Amino acid sequence: MTEQEPEEEQTNEVAEVSEDIEALKQALAEEKAKAETNLAGWQRAQADYVNYKRRAEQDKEEVSQFANAILVLNLLPILDDWERALASIPDDQADLSWVEGIRLIERKLRGVLEAQGLSPIEAVGQPFDPNRHEAAMQGKGEEGIVIEELQKGYKFRERVIRPSKVVVGNGEEEKEEE
Amino acid sequence: MGRAVGIDLGTTFSEVAVMQGGEPVVIPSAEGGTLFPSVVAISKSGERLVGQIARRQAIINPENTIYSIKRFMGRKWGEPLGRELPVEEDARRKTYKVTKGANNEVRVVMGEKEYSPPEISAMILQKLKADAEAYLGEKVSDAVVTVPAYFNDAQRQATKDAGAIAGLNVLRIINEPTAASLAYGLDKKKEETIAVYDLGGGTFDISILEIGEGTFQVKSTSGDTHLGGDDLDQKVMDWLGDEFKRDQGIDLRQDRTALQRLKEAAEKAKIELSSVTQTEINLPFITADASGPKHLTITLTRSKLEQLVMELVEKTLEPCRQALADAGKSASQIDEVILVGGQTRMPLVQKKVTQFFGREPHKGVNPDEVVAVGAAIQAGVLKGEVKEVLLLDVTPLTLGIETLGGVATPLITRNTTIPTAKSQIFSTAADNQPSVEIHVLQGERPMAADNRTLGRFMLDGILPAARGVPQIEVTFDIDANGILNVRAQDKGTGREQKITITASSGLSKEEVTKMQREAESYAAEDSQRREEAETRNTADTLAYTAEKTLRDQKEKIPAELNKEVEGKVQAVRSALQGTDVNAIRQAMQELSDSMQKLGAAIYQQQPPPGGEVPPGKEEGEGTVEGEFKEV
Repeated sequence: MTEQEPEEEQTNEVAEVSEDIEALKQALAEEKAKAETNLAGWQRAQADYVNYKRRAEQDKEEVSQFANAILVLNLLPILDDWERALASIPDDQADLSWVEGIRLIERKLRGVLEAQGLSPIEAVGQPFDPNRHEAAMQGKGEEGIVIEELQKGYKFRERVIRPSKVVVGNGEEEKEEE
Repeated sequence: MGRAVGIDLGTTFSEVAVMQGGEPVVIPSAEGGTLFPSVVAISKSGERLVGQIARRQAIINPENTIYSIKRFMGRKWGEPLGRELPVEEDARRKTYKVTKGANNEVRVVMGEKEYSPPEISAMILQKLKADAEAYLGEKVSDAVVTVPAYFNDAQRQATKDAGAIAGLNVLRIINEPTAASLAYGLDKKKEETIAVYDLGGGTFDISILEIGEGTFQVKSTSGDTHLGGDDLDQKVMDWLGDEFKRDQGIDLRQDRTALQRLKEAAEKAKIELSSVTQTEINLPFITADASGPKHLTITLTRSKLEQLVMELVEKTLEPCRQALADAGKSASQIDEVILVGGQTRMPLVQKKVTQFFGREPHKGVNPDEVVAVGAAIQAGVLKGEVKEVLLLDVTPLTLGIETLGGVATPLITRNTTIPTAKSQIFSTAADNQPSVEIHVLQGERPMAADNRTLGRFMLDGILPAARGVPQIEVTFDIDANGILNVRAQDKGTGREQKITITASSGLSKEEVTKMQREAESYAAEDSQRREEAETRNTADTLAYTAEKTLRDQKEKIPAELNKEVEGKVQAVRSALQGTDVNAIRQAMQELSDSMQKLGAAIYQQQPPPGGEVPPGKEEGEGTVEGEFKEV
């Protein structure tokens, strides 16, 4: 059927077809660009999701491990108070069995917290270590050595939850007081 | 390509945040907590310490511990600058040595070596970067860093240099108040005037910004470089000390251990009084004298606290007045007020700010984190992570189907992020029911009739079976464009029907809000109606079960009892015809009682164990919820 068609029409058709091709090419390029953007976006979302999942897992683990840390941290001032109370028992009452009972309660509380993973940080006599100790002031004594503990520090499962507040020696000789 | 973070590089504390899954997240430091002290030190053994660790040793290593380096960024000796202290003055207040470098530039000395302020800031940025990388498990390559609005070009350049030294590509330096505005999404507003009130631990800043076409312009700033939450703590501490001295005659401030406890207790009480109206300060064994141990127990009320700090809080208002005057604005011309800094949690501060500007400040974003969050959002935008096309939409209203008794059973609840899909299995409500109608609903009300109908279709060809036996899976699927596909499939035969609802919202914003409001205002009435519908469904199930038992166990049931139960079933059925819910409940209760007897009778005739299992005595359970029932 094309044989009988005049040449002119044929060229027109060719022009039209090539125009169509151009349009299609352009459309294809646009779609390709769009597909690329979408792929990038999708990949990023996927990556975000994977990372988020990993993070959530990690968080969950940490939460389960340290869920008690905040409670324990809030209990520390009570432990401090107890320690102070026991340290200031008047001499004439120290041997009373009632006082002994109070001591036992303190030991029990400490035992429960230690079973959960609480451990005191060593301070006095140790070299000052900012990873575990917080210097509150300097005093006369051996340089760089903790000479006094103002507040006991604690670790909970090997993580420092409260550094010891300490006084650190400044290298000056201690006063001879005897 | 690494991630981009937002960094609030502060005078005393810094913070870092990142966009994760389209939401800003503040990254905790390796030592725990999200506040990161802006402190750098060289220990006696030559080790470099940054952050929390550096702060802990500051007192015993003051000459090698650099803090507040921000005050020296981009500064030169002999160059006065706005309301900041001259370098000379600031340098005198520091425990470390501040020297003069080339071109009068400031240098600081640490471990017998000179450093430029950007080098010190870079050490802080490096640690933040490392902590962020550890948290994300990815490289961090870029950052948006914030600076005070009053920073000049040299100070901004110095901040940028610090980023470069730390190996960060600084995408942009933005103003702290601008970051706070971004955190509240105020960049989307048209032409507005914003006041950012920033009361931190040690400094106060007020900035007036103008926003237009997504850009922020700082109109004026003012503040007080030595006023903050720490001053408020001091007031509380002084009061505690005075009270104790008056009661016990001992000055606790002479005892360093007691002072330490007093300081902590004062801050704790202040924080607590932001959420409660009174608190007990309880410090047993705080000290001792000849008469024995002394305890400190004082109740501090919020009004007493407010009385103690009123003067300090009011001191912030003068800079506010100044900033307004400099911007040529009156308080009534301020459209938005934003609070930054932990101390703005105090109700008194919020009250004073509200009174001064005549409007409620924005709340909601943690005021300690708001600047870092805004910087992270900006970083996300610049990296193309926060793109319009990627913004995820939510369904504004709940979508569900109608189930037995005209109840609307939700499949996808409102505010679910789309695209999403949800399936649920339903069943038939009558024996041998051949088809089910899926009535797709939109809205928050519990009864189908009060919600909007999006479409309906029938699924037929269900094989004859007792009610509750066929399993019909209904799936709702909304794509990213909000187009809803509902499909129902009979699990037994595999037959399925579906409908596509293109304008699944099709509602204007006003209509959505109206529907949500209605749902709230009718909540009580609606829940009563839902309860009624449920009572009816339960009664219907019970009657059905009773009839079935009578049929199945005919020979085991004494005629007398059979008649009694039949009568009760009739009573329930006729009560169901009426509208009196209490009558239905009553009839149901009576039927239930008779059923108990029925059960007992059947069991008595039961052959010893090993025999036939009696059919269920099911009253109270297996509530039929549907024209369809959930299985």
